[in-house]
Amino acid sequence: MLHSIFRVWKRYYDVFRKNLVYGVVTTFVEPLLYLFAFGYGLGSLIPTLDYMGVTLEYRAFIFAGIVGQTALFIAFFEGAYGGFIRMYYQRVFQAIAVTPVTLTEVLWAEILWDATRATFGIFAVLLIGSIVGDFSISGAIAYLPIAFLSSMLFASLGVFVASKAKTIEEIGYPQYLFIFPMFLFCGVFFPIERLPETVGFVVKLLPLTGVAVTARSFLLKTPVDWLSVSASIVWLVVFVPLSISSMKKRLVK
Amino acid sequence: MEKALNVRHLVKEYKMPKGPAFRAVNDISFEINQGECFGLLGPNGAGKSTTMHCVTGFYPANSGSIEIMGRDVSQDPKSARQQLGVCHQEETLDNDFSLIQQLESYAGYFGFAKEKALSRGWELLERFELKDRAHQLSEHLSGGMRRKFQVLRAMLTEPKLVILDEPSTGLDPEARRTLWNEINLFKSNGGAILLSTHYMDEAQRLCDRVAIISKGKIMDCRSPQELIAHYIGLDPIEEEIRPGYKLTRPPNLEDVYLKVTGQRLGGSV
Ligand SMILES: Nc1ncnc2c1ncn2[C@@H]1O[C@H](COP(=O)(O)OP(=O)(O)O)[C@@H](O)[C@H]1O
Ligand SMILES: [Mg+2]
Repeated sequence: MLHSIFRVWKRYYDVFRKNLVYGVVTTFVEPLLYLFAFGYGLGSLIPTLDYMGVTLEYRAFIFAGIVGQTALFIAFFEGAYGGFIRMYYQRVFQAIAVTPVTLTEVLWAEILWDATRATFGIFAVLLIGSIVGDFSISGAIAYLPIAFLSSMLFASLGVFVASKAKTIEEIGYPQYLFIFPMFLFCGVFFPIERLPETVGFVVKLLPLTGVAVTARSFLLKTPVDWLSVSASIVWLVVFVPLSISSMKKRLVK
Repeated sequence: MEKALNVRHLVKEYKMPKGPAFRAVNDISFEINQGECFGLLGPNGAGKSTTMHCVTGFYPANSGSIEIMGRDVSQDPKSARQQLGVCHQEETLDNDFSLIQQLESYAGYFGFAKEKALSRGWELLERFELKDRAHQLSEHLSGGMRRKFQVLRAMLTEPKLVILDEPSTGLDPEARRTLWNEINLFKSNGGAILLSTHYMDEAQRLCDRVAIISKGKIMDCRSPQELIAHYIGLDPIEEEIRPGYKLTRPPNLEDVYLKVTGQRLGGSV
C-alpha cells in the first residue's frame, strides 16, 4: 500500500522537478509576496498588537499567520484545480487505477502530494521568519510535521471540492464563499478576538483558525485555543477519508 | 493452460438519478485463451466499455465473477492487474510527461525495473513509429499518434492480457495497419487481447473469436468465418450501394450483426 502510494507521489514530484522553475515560482512567490506586503508594509504601520493576552510584534504575528494561509492556498488550489484537471481532463486517476495501484492509493498520493507542495511553500516562510528572528527556530523545526498535517487538511478540502464540481468553474463557489473568507477572517491578519462574539465563535470552528493558532503557538510560543485546534483536527479526520470516498464515488460507477 | 480471462455471468447496472437502475451488461460469460484475440462487436451503447471497466476491476460488478490468469479482480485486484494492460476508449495519457518519461513512470506502477521499462519502451516506440517523438509531450502529438501511443503503453509491461477499447478510432489507414500488425505480434507472443470495435473489418481481421454484443447481451460467439457461414452462408451478396448501382461482395460481419440483432453496426469503413 505505502509502496504504491509512494510511486504515485513520485509521479507528482517528478512533474514538479521537471517544471522546477514553474514549480518554484508558483509555490514560493505567493507566500513571499504576502510576507513582504503585509509583514513589512502593514507591519511598519502597526508595531505591536495583543493576541490572546500576549503582546506581539505585528510582523511576527502576520508572518505566522501567513504560514497558515500558505497551507490553505497551495494545498487547496492544488487539490481542487489540479485534482479536477487530473480527474476530468487528463484522467490520470483512471489511468493509474487500472494498474496494480488502486484508486484509493492514487487519491492518498494526490492528497499527500498536495500537502507536500504546500509544505515546501511553508518551509520558505519558516525560513524567512527564522532568519529575520521572528520565529523560534526550534519551534519552526518542530512545526514541520504540523505544517504537513495542516496542508493535508486543506488538500482534502480541495479534493473534496474537485469531486463535487461539475465543471472547473464551479470550484469558484467554494473558493469565493469559503476559502477567501477564511483567509480574511480566521486570524491570519488580525486576532479573531476583534470579531463580534457570535461571529468569533463560528470562525473558531472553521479549519484555518486552528491551523493559524497552532502555527503561532509553535513559532511565537503563544497560548493555544483548544476549541479551534480541536475543530481543525475534526476537519482533518473527517475530510481526508471523505474526500477520498467522494472522489471514488464520482469516478466508480 | 490457464485462461487469460474468464468472465462468468457478469451483470452490471448503473444507478440512475431517478427510477430503477439501468442494466448495461446483462449476464454475459466468455473466456479468452492465451494467445487469442477476442472481439466484442457491437454499436455504441451495446455495453462493450462497461464490460471492460468491470474486467479491469475499476467498476464493481453487480454479480458474476471475473478472473485474469486465475486471479479474481474483485478479491485480488492488484495481482490481477499485474497481468493486465488497458487502453481506454477515452484518452488517458499523462500529458505532463514526454512519451518516454510516461512509459517509465507507468512501468513504475507495476514495480517494473526502470532499465527494463526503458529498453522495452524504446523498442515499442520504434515499432509503433513513434521513436522520433519520444521526447515530446503527448499533447503535442496528432490524435492518431496519441491513440497508437496509448495502445503501446498498454503493452509495455508485457501483460498477459490487454484490453483495447476501440483502439483504432481516429487512426488513418497507415496507422491502423501499424496497429493491427502490433496487435498480431502481441498475440503471436502469447498475449491475450480483449478488443472492442464497431468496425466489422477490424473484428474480421484481428479476432480469433467475436462476440456479437447487443443491449448488454452476447447473442453469439464464434470465429468470424463461422459466424458468417452460420448466419449468412458463403455466397456473395449483391448490394445496392447507390440507386441503380449494384455490387457483389463477400458476406461480412456487418451482415451477421444485422441478421442476429436486427440492428446495424454503424461503424464500418
Ligand atoms: N456512467 C454511466 N451511467 C449510466 N449509464 C451509462 C454509464 N456509462 C454507460 N452507460 C450506458 O450503458 C450502456 C452501455 O454503454 P457502454 O458500455 O459505454 O457501451 P459501448 O462501449 O458498447 O458503446 C449505454 O446505454 C450507456 O448509455
Ligand atoms: Mg465504448
